[in-house]
Amino acid sequence: MSRLIIFCLIFVTGILLSSGLLAGLAPQSRGAAEDSLAIVVNRANPVENLSFSELRKIFLGEQAHWSNGRRITVVMLEPGKMERQVVLTQIYKMGEKDFTNHFLHGLFTGEIHAAPRTLGSSAEVLKFVLNVPGAIGYLKAPEVDESVKVVRVESRLPSEKDYTIRLHGKPAK
Amino acid sequence: MKYSIVAEFGELRICKAHGRTSGRLVLALFLAMISSPVVQAQQTEASPVSKKEAEETLLQRIVQLEARLKEVEAALAKTQPATASAAPATPAAPNEQKPAPQAEPAEQESMDLNRTLLRIRGFSDVNLGGSTLRGDPRSTTAFSLGQVNLFVTSDVSDKFKFLSEVVFEAGPDNVFGVDVERMLLTYSFNDYFNVSVGRYHTAIGFYNTAYHHSTWFQTTTGRPFLFAFEDQGGILPIHNVGASVTGKIPSGRLGLHYLAEVGNGRAYKTGEPVQNEVDESSHKAVNFGMFARPESIPGLQAGFSVYRDLLTPAAGPKIGETIAAVHAVYSGLNFEWLNEALLIRHAPEGTAQVFNTPGFYTQVSKRFGAYRPYFRYQYVNVAANEPLFSSVGLRHGPSAGLRYDMSEFVALKLQYDYTALRGDRAFHTVTLQTGFTF
Repeated sequence: MSRLIIFCLIFVTGILLSSGLLAGLAPQSRGAAEDSLAIVVNRANPVENLSFSELRKIFLGEQAHWSNGRRITVVMLEPGKMERQVVLTQIYKMGEKDFTNHFLHGLFTGEIHAAPRTLGSSAEVLKFVLNVPGAIGYLKAPEVDESVKVVRVESRLPSEKDYTIRLHGKPAK
Repeated sequence: MKYSIVAEFGELRICKAHGRTSGRLVLALFLAMISSPVVQAQQTEASPVSKKEAEETLLQRIVQLEARLKEVEAALAKTQPATASAAPATPAAPNEQKPAPQAEPAEQESMDLNRTLLRIRGFSDVNLGGSTLRGDPRSTTAFSLGQVNLFVTSDVSDKFKFLSEVVFEAGPDNVFGVDVERMLLTYSFNDYFNVSVGRYHTAIGFYNTAYHHSTWFQTTTGRPFLFAFEDQGGILPIHNVGASVTGKIPSGRLGLHYLAEVGNGRAYKTGEPVQNEVDESSHKAVNFGMFARPESIPGLQAGFSVYRDLLTPAAGPKIGETIAAVHAVYSGLNFEWLNEALLIRHAPEGTAQVFNTPGFYTQVSKRFGAYRPYFRYQYVNVAANEPLFSSVGLRHGPSAGLRYDMSEFVALKLQYDYTALRGDRAFHTVTLQTGFTF
């Protein structure tokens, strides 16, 4: 009898794993989440999903306001951090020098309202995004907690297979 | 309280029903009753004297604390009045509270004294150059100081932003002067509607609003002649004082933008071409433009603008001025191709004459690491009998140069210009420039 119960449990668990109902526990998903960079906003922000094009415009300063009219504040980790390098490569598609030049020029022409806010650690990013309603930043997916909201990029969360912003991935198109 | 008693008796009944009225149960019931608030209350009620004493003690303590609080408040008011008044105006003060979903704070437009800071960035250049143009005081080989540009910005509030360019510049008389070249207060309602007031660079074409007074941003050593500043012989109303509205147009991947400006326009009666304080006439100059930045080709911008003013020269009739401009530029990280064309139309009132001045330039450059070779060809043709700029005449020719970015913020440029003139010999110019930001 006990063998039958154990067999049934294993069988049901297998079905749940294969159907994605326990995706959060699946080894592949956990690995995918650990390798992902989550885009986070303040919990009060109504945005749920951004296309990659919208995300790039926001980080470049070409879109300065959220749909609710609140000003966007982009948060960047300081130079040298791996997450920053990933964002420069995959979202900005430029190096440190061109990043600096882009914002210097944008501020000079008046087209960019504010340069990104630079912070030193993921904890500071969490705290800043928690306290600034218009903030948007990035964190390694495992570092995200409930104080912020993770935004879907191209309708995908960091734990999902086709999520585009990876720590060790190729630049998104 | 009733609930606890009922629960305890209930437990007792259940135990009896099971026939287990053991000593352990009695002990548990006894302990539970001792620890219950009912018992505590009964105990307190049983000794009214001690309760009264406790109340008196507490009242005394409250009186002492109130007195102490008043002392502290008085001391704070004396020592830190500024801090005390500024404290309520800090809506985004960081806190260490545990994470929790927040309610959306109400939209407010108040000046945050802790955040409103001036940010200053400088731009400048030092040049060594000379030309073969006869009769020009700048033709001798000379070291020359370029403009010292202090670019000042400030976030007045979430919606208001201040921006200015204060430029120190020496003229042909070697005397330094100071100009507030730009001074703008901008209200950003959203991405589709921004209003600015102050002194601005007229949005005619592309170059005038892309590079302003910094040579470091420019690939070349200077502006195309078509976009030369008024005090350097330029023919366009580069600066204006007034108001402007700019923003995006909902257009999807086409990326359309609009701009509309109204200002004093350019003066022709006085020595100062920019009408900062008074206007020669009540007529206002207007400018309207649109441009597209298609998503499919990042770096591409194409658009047009139309500027209209009524000029009042010192002599002769008023002149209607219309400036039509088109541009198509590609400005990528490594490759740049700028193309602009203008037509300046001057129509003196009371006559049938119309004077058209065409002009254009094309500029191409490619980056190879820290090096960026470039080429530019420019053309301006002012009629000999043009009422305002006849001295400019026809001038055209190529420029070639090399920009070398010595560091992230310092660029060295070497440029050669060949300029052909109508009715005069062509001249050559060589310039070595160090442009930098600080």
